Amino acid sequence: MTSFKLALRNVKKSFRDYAIYFLTLTFGVCIFFVFNSIESQQAIMDLTNGQMGILRLLNNVMTTFSVFVSVILGALILYANRFLIRRRKKEFGIYMTLGMEKGAMSRILVSETILVGLISLGVGTAMGVLLSQGMALVTAGLLGAEIGHFEFIFSSAAMWKTVICFGAVFLLTLIFNVFMVQKQNLIDLIYADRKNETFKTPKLFLSVFLFIVAAVLLGGAYFLVSGDGVFGVQTLGVAIVLGVVGTFLFFFSLSGFFLKLLQQNKRVYLKGLNMFVLRQINSKINTTYISMTMVCLMLFISISTLSSGIGVAKGLAESMEKNIPFDAGFLVNAGFTKDGETVRDYPGVDLIRAAKEGGADLSGFAKTYWTTRYYKADGNADMDRELSDMGPRFMKLSDFNTILKNRGVDPIALAPGQFAIDSGFDNEAYVEKLTALAGRAPTIRVGGEKLKTDASLLFQYALYVTQNSGMSPTLIVPDALLDGARPAADVLHIIYKGEGREYDTQCREALKGLPLPSGVERSLETGASVRETSSTATTTIAYLAIYLGIVFLITSAAILAISQLSETSDNISRYGLLRKIGTDERMIHRALFTQILIFFGVPLALALVHAVVGISMVNRVTGMLGTGSILAGSLFMALIMLIVYGGYFFATYLGSKNMLDREYARIE
Amino acid sequence: MSAILQAHHVEKYYGNRNNLTKALDGISFDVDAGEFMGVMGASGSGKTTLLNCISTIDTATSGQILIGGVDVTAMHAKALAKFRREELGFIFQDFNLLDTLTAYENIALALTILDTPHREIDRRTQDAARILGISDVLKKYPYQMSGGQRQRVASARAIVTEPSLVLADEPTGALDSKSARMLLERFEHLVEQRNATILMVTHDAFSASYCNRILFIRDGKLFHELVRGGASRKQFFDRIIEVISLLGGDANDII
Repeated sequence: MTSFKLALRNVKKSFRDYAIYFLTLTFGVCIFFVFNSIESQQAIMDLTNGQMGILRLLNNVMTTFSVFVSVILGALILYANRFLIRRRKKEFGIYMTLGMEKGAMSRILVSETILVGLISLGVGTAMGVLLSQGMALVTAGLLGAEIGHFEFIFSSAAMWKTVICFGAVFLLTLIFNVFMVQKQNLIDLIYADRKNETFKTPKLFLSVFLFIVAAVLLGGAYFLVSGDGVFGVQTLGVAIVLGVVGTFLFFFSLSGFFLKLLQQNKRVYLKGLNMFVLRQINSKINTTYISMTMVCLMLFISISTLSSGIGVAKGLAESMEKNIPFDAGFLVNAGFTKDGETVRDYPGVDLIRAAKEGGADLSGFAKTYWTTRYYKADGNADMDRELSDMGPRFMKLSDFNTILKNRGVDPIALAPGQFAIDSGFDNEAYVEKLTALAGRAPTIRVGGEKLKTDASLLFQYALYVTQNSGMSPTLIVPDALLDGARPAADVLHIIYKGEGREYDTQCREALKGLPLPSGVERSLETGASVRETSSTATTTIAYLAIYLGIVFLITSAAILAISQLSETSDNISRYGLLRKIGTDERMIHRALFTQILIFFGVPLALALVHAVVGISMVNRVTGMLGTGSILAGSLFMALIMLIVYGGYFFATYLGSKNMLDREYARIE
Repeated sequence: MSAILQAHHVEKYYGNRNNLTKALDGISFDVDAGEFMGVMGASGSGKTTLLNCISTIDTATSGQILIGGVDVTAMHAKALAKFRREELGFIFQDFNLLDTLTAYENIALALTILDTPHREIDRRTQDAARILGISDVLKKYPYQMSGGQRQRVASARAIVTEPSLVLADEPTGALDSKSARMLLERFEHLVEQRNATILMVTHDAFSASYCNRILFIRDGKLFHELVRGGASRKQFFDRIIEVISLLGGDANDII
């Protein structure tokens, strides 16, 4: 069992230097566990069938993305493992000189990998179990579910998923390590710490040229996605390719470019350790530019998902709330014929009479109820095209004012020859379009009369309870003009007697069997059903954004931290020389700080620029985010970035500083 | 001439009361300004310990070391770093150049950490490079240079700050004889033309023969002192060999 003892001691010994690796691993396991344990959180909630469905859907989405996440975390673990093994080549050299066989060395490594895997799996799962208790409360809040009773939640499904996914990753690491040991030569291991003094960096003028190319490519990518109007998938594809290649060239040429730039300015270049730091970074560029590009792109994804994900979820929830002006809305309109294209003729239905005929007692649960009719008016082809694909629907002024009255809003008046527009939806981009249209004072023709509108007659009220208000405006005209018009749809609005689920159930029950003419479509939406759909979307988007955002964030931060720590230990002799020739301790620490700051800061800065361009593009195309939700999302993102990324940065700096100081103290 | 370096009864002990190693056992000597002083001794004689104590990299157990009249044994760590970069120049056996920097930058580094104005950095770097005959390799990286060139770059770095004392630890140890000769001639030149003061530790009699004066150390004690005076290098070399044979032991050191 000696090899196991040796492994145990090695793990203990290296724990201090690679605490960051262990913590990342543990944190990764924890996050993975928490987001896979969503389904079991139902244990403490009182859920409706609909909410159950949402939870199951959410669980499926998380499971699907977890495969992707485990690939990312697996890549991180393999990457980190490669660094750890490289650092220990000398140690293996000593084992081999002492006559240890490769089989025994493999056994040490296998024990170590298993040990590290077990510890991080154990601790990570334990943390995950604790965290999932708290997350159950958040889930309940997002779903609008009530907490029934408290009990300790343990998701064995999540545990198995975690064990299987990470077990596979550790197994892969193990195979990699054994393979590594088998192909090593003693001579390489013993001289592993002899640094290779010949290093090649790209020629400086080439760097300057490539940097300009990178700037042009990135500028092109930004330009492509910032263009006005809608653009195709192809343009987006080109922009992404340009962006990735540009980012790659940016990191390939950046240090050379700045070296050249600063060499021109002797005052800065020949000051303190500036020269040393720049050369240091430049000498590493051959091995780091690929990982820097990866880190930058991952940070970009992380920043985008964290900020826009939360923003979209928040915006969605808010706009959904606006779609619930009353407690319930029963909509009937024309169905499609069998070919699925032609709309049938809609006869118009008096919903209150239908309710009486069907024996539905509306006053049993409703405090107030009334109907609204939508009409069609042909002959406004120009307007139709401009406003929506479906064509506008018309409403009598008195119906509109009834709706306003029940919403507690003052009624509007129309001067002779005027009409009003209601967007029914406060999507910024859409309202902007309608405002522009109203500003041009367009005319329509209804019931043989010409009507005009202007920007003061544009409203944004949701007119009935609906899942999707769509981009179909309602035109409000004087009652008399619609007397002979064809009906398009009827809506029965209901305001309940009070709060509570029982009214909802009664309402659904009452309207289920309403006798309607054949070929007519019906849909009943209540506040509860809209909120349920909304919470499905918001919870899924928010959880997915946080899950992916954090995984990408810790992965990129951990890659930087591990590579910088390993970089510092490679540089101990260089810093030692600086000390010998009398460089101030403070100056050395500052140089170290600057170097690490540049490695953490530059990818973050470029990722932020990418993200600003990307998010504003998404926002312009989908119109999902209001200014408020962008702000909320960005603040949330900034907070997470500050804690996680900032934490990794300082841990790396302190770790590197301690490594140097410890080495120095040893020499003294 | 005034003494740049004064060592009074310097002792360096390792271990504890029961198991005491006296690496330096009460050594006293002076080095005058403009002197090229050699320290010789077999492996384990204490010469490197002596150099480390003078260079403030190590601290003496007792005794005084005055450099330019300042007692370095009584200085704090922070003051020591300042003292090292302002008053001392270092040349190591394995060059200790930064492989990421060009020759020019390696030399200039000694000045940039002193916050020297950049114009002066350029002038003094070029000047030091000219003295050591490396003006044509200034743009090269260490890996593109020969061992001799690297050591002369390291020497340029040591003298560019115009230190009161240059400390050289086996500077020819890793050089072939031709490169060694060239380097030592440059040292002579520095002492004669620039009035530099060099303290060189070596166990190579040939290298030592370039010095003005040589201290021989055995078992941490001053064993003998040789002054070149008006003797030719060949005569001085022969006298060094005589002392080494008296010192005994290190037969390999005799060329």
